Amino acid sequence: MSSLDGDIFRILMFERCERMTKILTTLNQLNDYEKLKDFCDGFLLGINGLSIEYPSYQKEELLNFLPTLKKDKKEIFLALNKNMHNEDLTKLEEIMKIFDTKVDGFLYYDVALVELKQKHHFKTPLVWGQEHLTTNYLTSNYWYSFGASYTFLSSEITLEEIIEIKENAKAKLIVPIFGRLPMFVSNRHLVQNYYHYFEKNYEKGNYHMEKEGKSYPIIDSDLGTTVYSGHYLNGLKESLLLRKKEIDYFYCNSFDLDSSTFSKILECFYTVTEENWKEKEEQIENLLESNTDKGFLYKETVYKVK
Amino acid sequence: MKKPELLAPAGDLERLKWAIMYGADAVYIGGMNFGLRANANNFTLEEMQEGILFAHERKKKVYVTVNIVLHNKELKELTDYLKELEKIGVDAIIVSDPAIIKVAKENTSLEIHLSTQQSTMNKESAEFWKKEGVSRIVLARETSKEEIKEIIENVDIEIETFIHGAMCASVSGRCVLSNFLTARDANRGGCSQICRWDFDLTKDGQTVNFEKPFTFCTKDLSMLKYIPDMIELGITSFKIEGRMRSVYYIATVVDIYRKAIDSYFTDKTHYHYQEEWEQILRRCANRDSVPQFYNGISDETCQYYNGRMEISNQDFLGVVLNYNEQTKEAFIEQRNHFKIGDVVEFFGPGKEVISYEIKEILNENREVIDAARHPQEKVILKIEEKLEPNDLMRIKHQ
Repeated sequence: MSSLDGDIFRILMFERCERMTKILTTLNQLNDYEKLKDFCDGFLLGINGLSIEYPSYQKEELLNFLPTLKKDKKEIFLALNKNMHNEDLTKLEEIMKIFDTKVDGFLYYDVALVELKQKHHFKTPLVWGQEHLTTNYLTSNYWYSFGASYTFLSSEITLEEIIEIKENAKAKLIVPIFGRLPMFVSNRHLVQNYYHYFEKNYEKGNYHMEKEGKSYPIIDSDLGTTVYSGHYLNGLKESLLLRKKEIDYFYCNSFDLDSSTFSKILECFYTVTEENWKEKEEQIENLLESNTDKGFLYKETVYKVK
Repeated sequence: MKKPELLAPAGDLERLKWAIMYGADAVYIGGMNFGLRANANNFTLEEMQEGILFAHERKKKVYVTVNIVLHNKELKELTDYLKELEKIGVDAIIVSDPAIIKVAKENTSLEIHLSTQQSTMNKESAEFWKKEGVSRIVLARETSKEEIKEIIENVDIEIETFIHGAMCASVSGRCVLSNFLTARDANRGGCSQICRWDFDLTKDGQTVNFEKPFTFCTKDLSMLKYIPDMIELGITSFKIEGRMRSVYYIATVVDIYRKAIDSYFTDKTHYHYQEEWEQILRRCANRDSVPQFYNGISDETCQYYNGRMEISNQDFLGVVLNYNEQTKEAFIEQRNHFKIGDVVEFFGPGKEVISYEIKEILNENREVIDAARHPQEKVILKIEEKLEPNDLMRIKHQ
């Protein structure tokens, strides 16, 4: 790096620190860490059997990996976001005990985590991560009083709503800013059921459901079925506004992307400025062949049609 | 052992009255705002008041759904709305967003039931909600018999479960397909039921071609066979789904489950499941139904691949408006075409079914006609057996 490049890099890093909006992402495999570590501040990681929509690992793998993350001063959140049955509770409690104070937060969907935190006085803060239900500041504040120091906002709210929540919420906010968005979770095995109904042999593979020219990834795993959005949300330009509004975290989802492509995209989010956003946005569009949109950042949904 | 409450849906005031007449112990309704069936007729506050009066006169209850997931702009009107509900005597509110629980507790004394939208399926979550002042939890549809049992044994809170009606393909609250594909918010009452659409399925870029297109469409739920089992578990309330269903559907389903529950309570030892009940329920719906997750089953037997050709039901023929005991004449309002020669049934709350072959039809002018063709046409049938106003007429299947 030349001395001029070094100066520019330091200015950019200074700006990043000043801006204070951190970037969280996930790891499709732990080996991807080296490619991504310079362009993010932390990770959301899953535990096998207790997490959906996040790459998941055995507890031993994560325990062994934590020192690496800590050394690089990365924040770590465990995404324990499955809907829990009674039979999951023992393992859930065990994981919360093992990782208590070792990670920065437990993301939950099921309120069993809230109850267990209270019962056992776990110190680790919670992340209210009820996905499509995290839509207003009053409820964020409600969960804040139970130890949810973070709220992972829904992807179905507008930019305006995000800003209003930031102005009124006590919790730190995590805003999904890039990636395919989860649209649907079921305990049913919907792809396998289709095969079995017509007495065909189901094989694992890369499945999509298609309608009117759009293609939606559908994953049928041990825990059920998940469907993702047809487009990648690309909120690069909007991230600049949200940084000014002091949003605490952005989340960039690596699902469905190879590590090489994703690391380039992550770098764009990490180094974007008012001056270079157009160029970065074009770079992302090229990498994704323009299969992006702005999600619900500018789109209000309706619910009464008469 | 306490008899469970039979809880029926009511999309409007007419349906509320029918549900109660036909044997529901309680009904759940939605207001013009804050409910998850935004496109049902729903109730104004005045209609709610009338419905509550009707119900309370008959010692029945009315619960109001306030179960949307709130956005910021809905927060402003919430407190006043809850206070209004308390003022008109609502027996409980059904809530999914816990901010509503907080506002309700701070401003009213309303009883709070937790909606299935919170997907409660374990005892720790149930314990949390109990401490929060929720008096009843509507369990997630994904909860099995053993799980229900364990929750009831470990947490002292009323438990409500669905017994009949449509099922979501997703975990309740975890589906926004409608938001993405049609911009209609599933969690604020605008669900456009994408789960019932057909899609092309591809694997590794190649289309997967079976006889019928890929869909998430699930069969309906029916727990009729398991009523004794569920009563013994100690479930507080049996919930029928369907605020957008017809009067005929609601009356039929409530009537059958009322018979099943009462029959078991009257004489447990000699309780006898009747196939005829099942046949009647099957005919009044337009999809097959199965017990689903209760038995831990969610495989292909729960799915419905029919290429979106659900058959609309034309069994419902008419409503008895009045009966003249002297002339043995029943005054009927037509709801589907019927004609001379049809064999029909009359049924009413708590009554035995009456079979009848139509031999003559008179119009309002007492002229002989061969068929009742026109929607809501008023006709006269001569029938020996006494009928009551609001008895219903349906085709009899041989």
